[in-house]
Amino acid sequence: MARLIRTEKEVEGKYTEQWIVVEEDSLDQWPEGPQTTVGRPAARVTGPARARGEAEYTADVQLPGMLHTAVLRSPHGHARVTRLELGPALEAPGVRGVLTPEECEHLTSEPGYPGEPVAAVAADTFAQAEAALARIDVDWEIVEPRLDPDDAVRREELIGEPQRYERGDADRGLAEADVVVEAEYRTQTVLHNALETHQSVCVWEGGRLTVYTSTQFIWGVRAEVAEHFGIPEDRVRVVCRYMGGGFGAKTTPGEYTYIAAQLARKTGRPVRCALTRREENLASGNRHATIQRLVAGAREDGTLTALGGEFTMAVGWDGFQSSTAGPMQMLYACDNVRTVEYGAKLNTGPNAAFRAPGFVEGTFGLECLLDELAAKLGLDPLELRRRNYADSDLVDDRPFSSKNLLECYRRAEPHWGRRDEVRARSEGPWRRGVGLASQIWYGAGGPPSYAWVRVGSDGRAHVITGGQDIGTGTTTALAQIAAEELGLPLDRVEISIGDSDRGPYASISAGSSTTPSLGPAVRAAAADVARQIVEVAAQRHDLEERVLSLRDGNVVSADGGSWGLEEITGLFDDAQIIGKGSRGPNPTGMRVLTFGVQVAEVAVDVETGEIRVERIAAIHDIGRVINPLGASSQVEGGIIQGLGHTLSEQRLLDPESGAVLTQTLDAYKLPTIADVPEIVTELLDIPDPHLTNLGAKGLGEPPIIPTAAAIANAIRDATGADVRSLPITREEMLRALEEARERERAVAGSAG
Amino acid sequence: MSASELSLVRPASLAEAVAQVENGARALAGGTDLVPLLRDGLVRADTLVDVRAALPRGIQGTRIGAGTTLADLERSEEVPRALREACRLAASPQLRNMGTIGGNLRQATRCWYWRLGFPCFLHGGDRCHARAGEHREHAIFGNERCASAHPSDPAAALLALCATVETDRRAIPIVELFRLPTDDERDVVALEPGELILSLDVPAPDASVYLKAMDRRRFAFALVGVAAARFGGEVRLGLAGVAPIPWLLAGPEGLDEATPLPGTAYKVQIARALLGRALDAVAPG
Ligand SMILES: Cc1cc2nc3c(=O)[nH]c(=O)nc-3n(C[C@H](O)[C@H](O)[C@H](O)COP(=O)(O)OP(=O)(O)OC[C@H]3O[C@@H](n4cnc5c(N)ncnc54)[C@H](O)[C@@H]3O)c2cc1C
Ligand code: SF4
Repeated sequence: MARLIRTEKEVEGKYTEQWIVVEEDSLDQWPEGPQTTVGRPAARVTGPARARGEAEYTADVQLPGMLHTAVLRSPHGHARVTRLELGPALEAPGVRGVLTPEECEHLTSEPGYPGEPVAAVAADTFAQAEAALARIDVDWEIVEPRLDPDDAVRREELIGEPQRYERGDADRGLAEADVVVEAEYRTQTVLHNALETHQSVCVWEGGRLTVYTSTQFIWGVRAEVAEHFGIPEDRVRVVCRYMGGGFGAKTTPGEYTYIAAQLARKTGRPVRCALTRREENLASGNRHATIQRLVAGAREDGTLTALGGEFTMAVGWDGFQSSTAGPMQMLYACDNVRTVEYGAKLNTGPNAAFRAPGFVEGTFGLECLLDELAAKLGLDPLELRRRNYADSDLVDDRPFSSKNLLECYRRAEPHWGRRDEVRARSEGPWRRGVGLASQIWYGAGGPPSYAWVRVGSDGRAHVITGGQDIGTGTTTALAQIAAEELGLPLDRVEISIGDSDRGPYASISAGSSTTPSLGPAVRAAAADVARQIVEVAAQRHDLEERVLSLRDGNVVSADGGSWGLEEITGLFDDAQIIGKGSRGPNPTGMRVLTFGVQVAEVAVDVETGEIRVERIAAIHDIGRVINPLGASSQVEGGIIQGLGHTLSEQRLLDPESGAVLTQTLDAYKLPTIADVPEIVTELLDIPDPHLTNLGAKGLGEPPIIPTAAAIANAIRDATGADVRSLPITREEMLRALEEARERERAVAGSAG
Repeated sequence: MSASELSLVRPASLAEAVAQVENGARALAGGTDLVPLLRDGLVRADTLVDVRAALPRGIQGTRIGAGTTLADLERSEEVPRALREACRLAASPQLRNMGTIGGNLRQATRCWYWRLGFPCFLHGGDRCHARAGEHREHAIFGNERCASAHPSDPAAALLALCATVETDRRAIPIVELFRLPTDDERDVVALEPGELILSLDVPAPDASVYLKAMDRRRFAFALVGVAAARFGGEVRLGLAGVAPIPWLLAGPEGLDEATPLPGTAYKVQIARALLGRALDAVAPG
C-alpha cells in the first residue's frame, strides 16, 4: 500500500520537511558482513567502456549541425558595461547567433567577479565563436573590487544572515577551564578542477528540450530548466550517462545550460556550451576561503568546558555560506559551545559546494585546536578525543542512529602506535611525526528515489533508475545490490542510469547520498521481482513459496530442487517480470551521521620546508559497505584531494584587480601521483540498524574531511611547529618553524 | 591568432632552416612552450619553421645538439650529472619527450601576470605587476624592473657547467646568452632575430649536482634550483627560479646580496640550505 508520510530531508546538514509517498519497506537488512555479492570487491561495471574511450561523456556528444558557444566574460573584478555592440560579432564567419543580457537573465551587464558571463556567441566551430568574441565592441566602467573578507564583515557586506549558535554558556565554560587555547586558522580558496569541465549540449525538438549535461542531479536540472522556459517538466529530458567529476559544483544547471538552451532555441540548432579550463577556474565555483578565530577551554583531565569560534567565510559575489562551524558544534560532548559565522560578499567567483563544504575547513581548525590543547594539557591527543566522546547528538538533542567512532579509535591504535618508531626514523634535516584527526559528517541520503527492475525470459535482470553516476561507482554498487537480492551473478545484471526520460526519479548525488538514497530503492525493486519469481516458480512446480529462494542464478527449494532462473522466466517468451521499489524514510527522531579518524605520517625537511606525507590510515564508519573496492577508491580519491588542499592548491588573486592568477594547471598545483602517500583504508562495515533496508551510509565526502588536520598535527608532532594556515607551502612551513624556534629561545631565555 | 593564419614549413637542412627563420617566422622545436604562447596571443608569428629535422640532435662527447630532447639528456650517461638531474626534475615525462634543450633555453617566463597578458614591464609596459602584487614564485635577485623567476632547470645546470652555446652565427658562453631586461631591451635572451641555437658544448666536471625545491614532488617549476659543478678546486654555482635569468652565484656568501620581495624571502632560506647540500655533494673525496 502506498503510504503518505511527512519526513525530514537532509542535504549536507540542511534539513527540510517534506511529504513523500513510500511503499511499505518490509525488507529486513541482510546480516552483517559480506554477502554473496554485496560486501565483496567488484571491479567497476563501467570500467572497460571508460578505459576504451567508448563511454559517452557530455564532452563526447556530437549532434548533426551542432553549434559551439564562446562566452564573453568580464575581465574585471567589478564593472559596468557601458556599451555592448554585438553586430560585428554576428557578421563574423560561421556565427549563427548571439545572446545579450537583455535576452538572458544569466548574462549580466554589471559583472561582479572576473569571469562573470556578459554575452555569448554561437558559431559552427569553437574557434569561430572565439574569434567572433574578439569582435564584440564593449566598454567597461571599472569599479574598485572588494577582496578582503574581514573588511566585508566590518562593512556588513554579507551573503545571508550571520549564523549564530549557542548551547550552554561558553563564557562560563571558559571561566571554569584550567587550560584555555586560542588560535586563528586560515584556509584558502581551492578550485574543484573536475576532469570534465562544466558543459551542456541543448537541442529543441518540437517544443521539447533535451539537455545533455555534466551534472550531479538530472532531476534538479530538469525542474530548473523547465521553470526557466515556462514549460512542463516532462517536456525537458536531461541526460548524463557518464560524468567526469563534479565534487559538488554541478548540482544546478549553471549559466552554460541556459545559454546553450537559449541559443539553441534562437538558432534552431543543437548548441554546445562548454567551459574551457580557464573559465572553469574563474567561474564554476570554488571552496571559499575561511578565517577561523577559535578558542577551547578544558579541565586538567581533558574534559572540554567550552568551545567557541568566529568564522568568516569569503563566499564571493554569490553562493552560500557553508557550515564551517558544524564540526565544532557536533563532534564533541561539550556543554558550552558558541559559534558565529559570517559570509563575506566579495568581488570573487561565487563559491559552490565542494566535497564536504564547511566541514573540511572547520575540521582543520577544530582538530588542530584540539591537538594544541592536548599539547598544553600534556595529554595524548587520541585520549583527549575519547574523553570528550559524544554519545548522543547535542545539537538536535537526539540519539544517533548508529555511531561507532570509538571502534574507529580502537582500530586507529595500531597506526597511532607507530609514533615512536616513525619519530625514531628522523634523520638529518628530516623530522618525522604522526598526527590524527576525527571526522563527522552527514551521509544518510533520503527519500524519494525510485528504481525499476525487469527480468526477461533470458533470466537477466535490468535495473533502471534516473540517478546518475558522477564517477563514484554508483552503477556498480547498484548492480551489486540487485544481484544480491536476485541471487544472480553480477554479470547477469544490466543497469541504465542518467536519463530522465528513461527511468524514475532519483536523488541528487551530493552530500554523500547516492548509495544510501538509491540503493534501498534498487533493493526494494529487486525484491519485488524476486517475490514474483518465487510466486511463479511455486505455481509451476507446485511448491510452497516459503520453501523457495533465489541463489546463484537458480530458483532453489528447501528440499534440494533447483531450476535455472531462465527456466522459470523462459516460460513467458517476450514477457517480463517487472518490479518497482522506492526509498523508505529515514528513522524519525534520530541523527544519521558518518564518522571516522585518519592517522597521518609525515616527514618535514626543516631546512627547506619540504613536507612529504608518507602514510595515511583512514578508518571510517559509514554503515554497510556495498563494494569494498569502490569504497577504498573513494577514500583514496578523497585523501589525495585533501592532500592538494593541505599542501599545494590555492587560487591566487591579483590584490589590485582581483584577477585570478591561477587559471591553468601549471599555476594551480593539484597533487600528482608522485605526491600520493601509502593509503591504508579500513572501513568498519557495521550496518546502521535503523537506516533503510541496507544500513548503508554515504562515503563520498568523509575521507577528505580529516586529512588536512591529521597532516598539520603530524607536522606539529614532527617539528613542534604550529601550522595554522592552508596550504602549508614552503613559506608557511618555514614561518611556523621559525616561530617555534623563537618560542623555544624565549622559553630557554626565561629558564636561563 | 587562429591557427589557420599560420603557415608551417619543414626545412630538411640546416641551411634552409637558417634561411627560413627570418622576419615574422619563428623556430618551432617540440612546441611545448611556443604553441601555447601562440594560442594565447603572447607570441605572434606568421610562419613556423619546424627545425627538428634540421637541428643537430644527440650527444657526442661534450657536444649536445640543440634538438636533443630533455628525455634523451636525462637518460644519457655521457651527460654531467647536474644537467641530467635538471632534465629529470623538469616538467613531466610527456613534456620531456617533446621538449628540446634549445627550446628550453629560449622558453618564456612563467610569471602569471605575463602569461595572462598584463601590460607589464616585460611586455613593454612601464611597471611590474608582480612586485606590488602576488609574487610568491618570483625573484630574489635582479628583480628591480622585472621580478620574474627564470623557469629553466637545465639553464642553471649549464651555467654551473660553464657551457658554451653555438649558434648559426657565433659561439657564446652561456652566461652571455641571458641578460636582465632593461628599458631598451626587454628580451632576456641575447639572440639576434632569427639566430638559431645549434649545439651546446658542455665540459665534463669532476663532480656536479642539481637540487630543486618545488611546490609538489614532481612537475612544477623550481621555487629554487641549485646546480653546482666542480672543476678541480673551483666550484661554480647556477641557480634557477631566483632571478629573471639563470643566476650565477660566486659563492654561498652571494646569497647575502639577495633583494627578496616580501613574498619571496623564504626562497633565500631554501637557497641557503640547497647550496650547502650541493657544495657537500660535489666536495672532493
Ligand atoms: C607545463 C609545463 C611545465 C614545465 N616545467 C618545466 C620545468 O620544471 N623545468 C624546466 O626547465 N622547464 C619546464 N618546462 C619547459 C619545457 O622544458 C620547455 O617548454 C621545453 O624544453 C621547450 O622546448 P621545445 O622544443 O618544446 O621548444 P618550443 O616550444 O618549440 O620553442 C620554445 C622557444 O624556443 C625557440 N626555439 C626552439 N628551438 C630553438 C633553437 N634551436 N634556437 C633558437 N630558438 C629556439 C622557439 O622559437 C620558441 O621561442 C615546462 C613546460 C610546460 C609546458
Ligand atoms: S615579474 Fe616581470 S613578467 Fe612578471 S609582471 Fe613583473 S615585469 Fe611582468
